[in-house]
This record gives sequence, C-alpha cells and structure tokens, in this order.
Amino acid sequence: MSKSTAPKKRWLISQAELEAWLDGIANARTLIAPRQESGIILYRPVAKSGEIAWHGQTSRSAHGGRPVLSVKEIFFPPTERLFTIQKTGQEIRLKETFPDWETVVFGVRPCDARGVKLLDALFLDTNPVDSFYARRRGNTTLIGLACKELGPTCFCTSVGGAPDDAQDVDIMLYETDGGYLAEAVTEKGRFLIPGGEWKETTASPQQSTYSGQFPVPEKGKWPEHFNDEYWAKMSERCLSCRACAFVCPTCRCFAVRDELVKPGEFERIRCWDSCAGENYRLVAGGHRPRAEKGERLRNRFFCKFFYYPEQYGLGAASACTGCGRCIEVCPVGVDITEVLMHLEKPA
Amino acid sequence: MNENPMLPYLGKLVEVRDLAAEIKLFRVEMLNGGGEAFRTFQPGQFAFVSAFGLGEAPFGIANASGRGPTVDFAVARLGSVTTGLHELGEGDIVGVRGPLGNWFPMKKFKGKNLIVLGGGIGGAPLRPVIQHVLDHRSDFETLTILWAARHPSLLVFTDEYDEWRAAPDTALHLTVDNPDEQWDHNVGLITQLLEKISPSTDNTVTITCGPPIMIHFVTKMLQEKMGFAPKNNYVTLEARMHCGMGKCGRCNLGEKLVCVDGPVFNMEEVGGLLETFL
Repeated sequence: MSKSTAPKKRWLISQAELEAWLDGIANARTLIAPRQESGIILYRPVAKSGEIAWHGQTSRSAHGGRPVLSVKEIFFPPTERLFTIQKTGQEIRLKETFPDWETVVFGVRPCDARGVKLLDALFLDTNPVDSFYARRRGNTTLIGLACKELGPTCFCTSVGGAPDDAQDVDIMLYETDGGYLAEAVTEKGRFLIPGGEWKETTASPQQSTYSGQFPVPEKGKWPEHFNDEYWAKMSERCLSCRACAFVCPTCRCFAVRDELVKPGEFERIRCWDSCAGENYRLVAGGHRPRAEKGERLRNRFFCKFFYYPEQYGLGAASACTGCGRCIEVCPVGVDITEVLMHLEKPA
Repeated sequence: MNENPMLPYLGKLVEVRDLAAEIKLFRVEMLNGGGEAFRTFQPGQFAFVSAFGLGEAPFGIANASGRGPTVDFAVARLGSVTTGLHELGEGDIVGVRGPLGNWFPMKKFKGKNLIVLGGGIGGAPLRPVIQHVLDHRSDFETLTILWAARHPSLLVFTDEYDEWRAAPDTALHLTVDNPDEQWDHNVGLITQLLEKISPSTDNTVTITCGPPIMIHFVTKMLQEKMGFAPKNNYVTLEARMHCGMGKCGRCNLGEKLVCVDGPVFNMEEVGGLLETFL
C-alpha cells in the first residue's frame, strides 16, 4: 500500500455526478473506458459517458464489465509504428512520429493497474527508456474502479494484490450504496478532480475482506522445479495459440518487422508476440531452441514468477497480477492456478 | 542515442564482397550520428543491420574498432532480411543500430595465451578478437586459431589467413568436414583438430563461436579432456532477438538475456543458467 504522508482526500459522488465528470473529461481530452465493441468489452475511446459499458461493472465474470484485453494495450498497443521508411532510388529517409495525446482511462481494475506498474519496471525503469511507452504513460491518468467481488477466475489476492488495491492508479473509485467514494491517490489524480463541486467526506472505503486463496511458490523455489516432468505433461494439450499472452496484462514480448504502406513507403512496426509460439526462437540456419511445448509453457510460467522478477528488479513480487484472463481464454483449459498449486504440493 | 532507441543510424555500403558461398562481407560507412556511435566498439559486440523494407537482424560486428572507422558485417543469406541485404551493393544505404551487448574482456586477456575457435560464419564475431590481438601483438602471448567449416567454400576470411599466419607467435589451423580435391589441411570436426593440438591450460583462455552444437562439444572437450576451468572458456552465443536492449523478451536463457547479459559469456556463467543454449 502506498504510504502517503498527507491524509488522502475523499469525496462522495452520485452516479450522475460521475457521469457528468466523465463527460467533461471526454470533452477536453481522450477518455478511454470499457466499451462494447463487436460483442465484447474493450478499453476504447468514448465520446461521452453514455458509451461506457456499465453493465456488469461490479461482476467480473467472463462476460461482465471487465475488458477482455487488459489496459496494457493503451500503453503498449498490439501493433505500433516505430518509424516510417521512405525509399526513393538509393535514398532512404526515416520519419518518426510519437504518440502525443493526453488520455484519461476510466474503469481500471486494480489487477490491470498493477500490470502497468509491472511493465513500468521494464519500459521505464530499465535503460534505455522506451520512448513510446514513456510518452503514453506520462500523458495518461488512470481512474481505478475497485472490485466489489472476485470473479470466477480471479486470484489477485494470491499474488499480492487486492480487489480494492489503490496503489497503482491515480484516482480510485469505490462503489457505495447509491454512488461512489472517490479517492485522490496521486497528485496527477488530484488535479483531475473538480474542486468545489464534489462533497468531501472523511469516510473510508470499506476494506475488502478477501484474503489469499492459495500459496504461490516463492521466487527462490522456482529453479528446483525447472526439470520437473510436470511441464511436458501439463503442456500436452497446449495448442501454442498464444491467447494467454495476448490477454495477459504483463506479457510484453514483441516482434519487429517492416510492412509495406505503399510503393516506396514502409513502416517498421513492433507487434505482440509470445514465447508459447512455435517459431518464436527459430534462428536462421534452423537451430530452434525450446522446440517442445513443455519447454515453452515452462518459460512462460518461469517468466512470470522467476525470470521477469529477476531481470527487472521486482524483489519478491511476481509478474502475475492474478487477473485470471489466461484461464478464461485458454481453449484447452490450461490453468495457471493449477500450475501454482501443483508446484506447492509436497513432492 | 536517439530518443527512440529503435531508430537505426543510416550507413552507406562502401564495400560488398563475397566472403564464402552465400556469405558476403558488408563494409559500412556510418552517416550522420552513427559515426559518433560507432567511433569505438569492442570485440564481441553486435549491431542490428536493416534492409529497409524487409526488417533488421542482429549480427556480430566483424572488425576491430581500430580497423575502422568503417564497420564490417558478415552476412549469410538465410532468411528474408539477409536475402535483402545480399541484393544490395556498394552505395546502397542500410540501417545500423548499436553497438550492443557486452564484449570479450581483452584487457583481462593481456599477457595470456589465446585460443580462438571459429566454426563457419561463427568466425565473424571472432575476427575483431584476432585483429585486436594482431594490432596489439605484444600485449598477448601466443595466439592459436582453429578455423573450421563444413566445406572449403564455407571458410570465411580466407584472404586474411596470410596476415594471421605472418604475425609473431600466431598459428592458424584449418579443418573442414568435407574436403574438396584442392584441400591440403585437416579434415574432420573442429573437436578432432582440437584433440590433435591438445593445448595446455597454462595461462590460457579460449574463445569459441560457432553453431550451438559445436560450442557444446568444443567446451566439453576443453574442460573434460584438457582440464580447462570453465571460467577460462569464453563463448559468444546466438539467440533470436528483436530489440537487442533487453525489452522484447526473445533471447532469454533462463533468467539471463543474451542481448544485455551477453552475448559473451564464460562457461562458468553458462553452466549457472537454468536453460541450456542448445
């Protein structure tokens, strides 16, 4: 939990006040919020609060209000142009464009906010700074929405999170009877809150009573499981479809390539990729490390709980936020919570 | 560095020549800010080279900084980027991003006997080591080069062998798996050649690059048959990479990233990794 010295300012607002506020934000800058698109909910720009998918906001069931993709895609989009290449005869010109809009994201769940914090460790806190991610991150304010209950695949409480964890957002909203308790978490968040219009309160949000669901192996215990036969067995059904990485708030592997825009003009792009993919490690000449599915899935789980924390200085924390999206989308029922519980079983 | 570290410098190809079958040497004159970025680099470092419109791929820098200011790359035609590079000629523009990664600790190697073992195009990132030693010859004791390829037509830098052989206290041993009629050197795997030479471990470090399977058996032989301490067996490893800066996640060997923790490792470090490079 963040230890701010000044007491946190809080306000009680009604649904109507919240909507009016969001409408005002949407008028002045880009507002991104959960929105229905092609039958699913995604974080998308909304022109007014009426476009927000409110339904199911309190229920995080698979078809509830939580976007199918995490908030990761706002800072690290599935495909991003790194620069444009213009070729005229022998002449080459490279043109750069950076994202430069001010954005407010509404409805960020604590697990997704935690995911952004974990990506910061790689893209912001480890040199060189990723200029695209840094610009988006700096220009974005996160308005969080605490979860009233855990969804069927949620396990944030097992990996150090909580459904009402406010530490990684700028403003946190807690649902109350007939409205919301709004809390300014950061200066950036405070700046967005309308001064005299909202009714200040000394009330505290009701603390979540959910606690840890199951023990997760500590970081230091992972290496001893590296050669377990379990990985080959548990991955037999894996289709290498990579959906788990696509929906994951912290999977960040990417590929870089050039795409034709029009004759003489190309874009160098980066796009999401995943270590679960068959040709992910293929090198020219045909050498293909991690040829087996078990080796690839093992890498994914080790990345979350051992490699990434080691590489980017997370200390004892893991790089899994417990959002459970990978469990929801896996077509063959690979379940990360089963993996964690298996590793915790006495040998 | 550019604000966008993925933006390459432009470089002009000032020389393109065949090095071996399907392998070309590209000599790049860096343009604009690239000249400063590549003013000095270390043996073992790598860079991404762009064939604009197709993409970029990582290559070990194939010359010593002191032989610059141009930068050399040896490129085997294998995938789409390398095929695109092979279609370029002198005067064409490529992108170069780097220098990246760690390097062979040449300062630490001072006063030591060096054994350099290169297999096929794996010789390319070792050429800067050889050049550095030749250019600072009195800093090092003996230099023994074991140079191998599947076939004589795949041996790289053949036109430089005379320069290497002529250097004091320097020996070059060649071997191929499949000789042709003109071949009058060793025949067989580099491990057979190594066994024949059977070097002493005394004040000696080895530097190996080649296919993973070759690195595996060479370092195994050095340790098990010749008694080398793993920390004196240096290797440079290849892995698929898309950024070279520890971001894209592709090149991990367990908890280490080949791009930023390597590509140069000693075998003690490699042995401590969870994953093998094979």
